[in-house]
Amino acid sequence: MASKDVLIIGGGIAGMQAALDLGDMGLQAHLVEKNPSIGGKMAQLDKTFPTNDCTI
Amino acid sequence: MRQKPRYVEASRCTACGACAEKCPTKVPNEFNFGLDEHKAIYKDYAQGIPSVYTIDPTHCRIFQGKKCGVCAKTCQAKAIDYEQKEKFVDLNVAAVIISTGYELFDATRISEYGYGRLPNVISALEMERLLSAGGPTKGHLTRPSTIRAEARVRELAKRIKKAETDQDMENLGRFQAELKWLEAQIHKHHTATKLGFIQCVGSRDFRFHKYCSSFCCMHSIKEAIIAKEHEPQTESYIFYMDLRTVGKGFEEYKVRGEKVSGLKYVRGRVAEILEDDEHNPIVYYEDTEERRVKSMTLDMVILATACSAPKGVNPLAEMLGVELDENNFIKTHPNRPLDTSVPGIFSCGCAQGPLDIPESVAQASSAAARAAEVVMTGGLALAM
Repeated sequence: MASKDVLIIGGGIAGMQAALDLGDMGLQAHLVEKNPSIGGKMAQLDKTFPTNDCTI
Repeated sequence: MRQKPRYVEASRCTACGACAEKCPTKVPNEFNFGLDEHKAIYKDYAQGIPSVYTIDPTHCRIFQGKKCGVCAKTCQAKAIDYEQKEKFVDLNVAAVIISTGYELFDATRISEYGYGRLPNVISALEMERLLSAGGPTKGHLTRPSTIRAEARVRELAKRIKKAETDQDMENLGRFQAELKWLEAQIHKHHTATKLGFIQCVGSRDFRFHKYCSSFCCMHSIKEAIIAKEHEPQTESYIFYMDLRTVGKGFEEYKVRGEKVSGLKYVRGRVAEILEDDEHNPIVYYEDTEERRVKSMTLDMVILATACSAPKGVNPLAEMLGVELDENNFIKTHPNRPLDTSVPGIFSCGCAQGPLDIPESVAQASSAAARAAEVVMTGGLALAM
């Protein structure tokens, strides 16, 4: 059977959102990240504009 | 796909942190831009996912051929495995999404701004770490020169003790004089309260990136507002060419910054940054509204460094066969903003150009939908 998996390269905010959406659609997503933790640049941020919400 | 070893068995590690507490090796913390240290077995940040510790083999004593093994002895879950090897995983996939993000522009390339040379000139991402409650200063706006001075004070205390036992009077006097000066400096300049934010560092600059990095105006305003929340006496000056606050609620945020948080927007590009003998940066700029060249002495300068394509993108693009644009971002077509030059490979987020978080998230959902379209139709959607 043909594969229904999706490869996502980069586990920052964009990669994580894409992986979650694909998972919600019932597809298998493989999220590849070079660092020990996912989150990317956004995990390094303190708050986000324009609402001053915390990032993590 | 190559899976790098963590030297910690992920299924066993409970992330209790006992290993890092006992580890004898300290390493500058890259996550916080070297403003503090972590151990050779570490997690990038407390909430990091997967919640598993990782050994840094370039610093761990075991990997330097020295005797240690403290973490393996401490670990109750028996998760430490120095023998772990890299694994190769074969994946058969129907679609690929490239979300490799961006890299900060290397501000040392603009030598007149003194980044890397002047301790109190930092990048905006370093500022985020200083403001963060989980950061090196637990959210206190300590000047980097003070962080360095504090480290030097600890070192001097040890040296003074040694000089005292050795009766080395010449060095003792020298160390004590340095300690006295440093302690006075730490007391005088502990917290940064007069901040300068410099926009377009590496972007909209014909020497480097011609494009606008799009999110820096907003994050500088945000950092200035948050700094004011942390320390109400903070004064912030934002040096800009033009403030591009394009997005839902962004213009209102800029106005709020000026009206509520008292930010001062100064139109003019900064020519040079020097420092006085107490590490206070002095900014030279042209105030284009008054048509005068001026200077201002500040406690700390924050550079809004450009969003650059990551260096590792070239081999990746070559491997996947996707085209890059002239700035090394993934090339996309305006009418199909998520499609790369290869059918079935999509890209989202800053991999294809500077984007803020709401735009990145929106693109990510769209890319997921495009990938699902391809997968669910068995590739038929590609032919359309």
